[in-house]
Amino acid sequence: MSKKFIKFLCMRLAFFIVAYIVAITLVFLLPRIIPGNPLALLLTQILQQARVSRPEEIKEVYLVLLREFGLDKPIWMQYLDFLSRAFVGDLGTSISYYPRKVIDLIAPALPWTLAVLVPAILTAWSIGNVMGAVAGYRRGSIFEKVTMTFSFIMTHIPYYWFAMFILFVFGVRLRIFPVGGGYSPWLTPSLTPQFVANLLWHYIPPFLSIVLVSVGSWAIGMRFIVVNELEGDYIIFSESLGVSDKILYRYVFRNSLLPQVTGLALAFGNVLGGQVVMETIFNYPGTGHILFQALVSLDYIVIQGVFIILIATLYLANFIVDFIYVLVDPRIRIGE
Amino acid sequence: MGGRLYLRLLFRKGRFLLGFAVFIVILMIGLVGPIIYTKDPTSFDGPTESPPSLEYPLGTDTFGRDLMAQLIHGVRTSLYIGVITALIATSAGSLVGAVAGIKSGVIDEALTSVTNIVLSIPSVLLAILVASYFKVRSIELVAFLLGITSWPWYARAIRAQIKSLRERDFVYLSRMAGYSDLKLVVEDIFPNIASYMLMAFVSYVNTGVVGEAALSILGLGPSRSVSLGIILYWAASREAFRRGQWWWFIPPGVTIVGIISSLYAIATAVDEILNPKLRKE
Repeated sequence: MSKKFIKFLCMRLAFFIVAYIVAITLVFLLPRIIPGNPLALLLTQILQQARVSRPEEIKEVYLVLLREFGLDKPIWMQYLDFLSRAFVGDLGTSISYYPRKVIDLIAPALPWTLAVLVPAILTAWSIGNVMGAVAGYRRGSIFEKVTMTFSFIMTHIPYYWFAMFILFVFGVRLRIFPVGGGYSPWLTPSLTPQFVANLLWHYIPPFLSIVLVSVGSWAIGMRFIVVNELEGDYIIFSESLGVSDKILYRYVFRNSLLPQVTGLALAFGNVLGGQVVMETIFNYPGTGHILFQALVSLDYIVIQGVFIILIATLYLANFIVDFIYVLVDPRIRIGE
Repeated sequence: MGGRLYLRLLFRKGRFLLGFAVFIVILMIGLVGPIIYTKDPTSFDGPTESPPSLEYPLGTDTFGRDLMAQLIHGVRTSLYIGVITALIATSAGSLVGAVAGIKSGVIDEALTSVTNIVLSIPSVLLAILVASYFKVRSIELVAFLLGITSWPWYARAIRAQIKSLRERDFVYLSRMAGYSDLKLVVEDIFPNIASYMLMAFVSYVNTGVVGEAALSILGLGPSRSVSLGIILYWAASREAFRRGQWWWFIPPGVTIVGIISSLYAIATAVDEILNPKLRKE
């Protein structure tokens, strides 16, 4: 491993740490600077809710809230507290599921989200890039026209609406797939073949929705890059040397893939944002579902917690993408 | 080439014509629709969950509200949110991008870091977080939140464009002639990035329309209004798609897809004609 390699990764790591601090600072500051002090409003509202449902716990809830928001301390101490706890994963205590810790609520949901997100993005990425590359090589062909029209339409369909559409067509009308959920409610999670099959059956609609909606933009991007790359000097030179088409395609494909690897990092964020909304449509038991419930019950600490956890996950994913990028890009890998 | 020639070129493109026609139809629905189709989108008068009929062209929802009236008012609200989102995002992005592009050194580095950090936070998630702090959300507030969370990619692009323009000879000449930064931007740089700015504006209208619906489905949409997203929210909370009521959620979704794909078709066609790099003679 070269020095440049390590330096690049250190720079990226530093960036993500700073960005994470900024994100947490935003979470800390926003409710305190928004006009009308939503924090105070929320406190009273939460207390009213608590009074209705659990009168005996009211005093306890009140004290927890005071401590969670740290309102009894000076603001800079509140901030440092908040920051240091966010780095060790202590995101506070849920109000509607009191006394459960926010992290214990989110942790079981996160694998559900990632299990859809990561395979779906990688599948869309692979299919989209191959589709786009072939369309770029064969300009003017029927394949190009069909795939590009399909891509154009699919990239303009919002995730959440496509989710409703898939549910309606495949779940309600054709009855091929279930109408939502992570697994059938009458089953208990176990490693039996029956349960795993049921799990996969519920998995396909959200997975397919993400793949179908996001495959188009990869294809369009890849076609554009390949078309440009085919006009590059090194291709024209190789062609004049009589290099076979097969080898040429391989050159072009490898070079065009690099920018697409960078794009992967941004796509993670966009798809994640879309998936959070989509999970509420599918009733899929991921973080989006937790977030939606928290929004409905105004469980403010859980809302913040989901945001922070998702951002942390995203930065981790981005860092892994950076690592892969370094491995495939010879300029950084071999550079001195 | 004069302006007329540009227009003639534009209208010769099939994709542009199709996009333009679709967009004009949707725009007209939003602008004059409420005048022609005068039913109140919030009145509970109709039969409940009735499929499309002559009296109710798009049917009614669980509360007996007319879905055609909702769609018409929804288009209006959603387009309005889209335009405000675009205004905010392009102004913020242009400002940050232009200052970072013109200045170098500390100011550039600071602005670039801020841009990269905001860019690394998914705008939908950030908008969800901020929107949840407000109990009552006006249409303008929703648009503001969507705009203020989505400017970074554009700021970065503007900065890159200006940096590369700055290396060009005509900009050097203007510098030698003693142009101020402001004059440089207005006279030399702006004309070269105007078509790009137009593209960005259009794509931010889409960000606003799509983002509004995403926020609305989570229950964070504009309070006491009817937008395309709010219709989807009502449909989702009443499980319309699980109970087979296609007339409730298909039309608003198709309209959203219609808005964003037609605007995109228009923008790429305009870009292909105005942008000398893409122009095919």
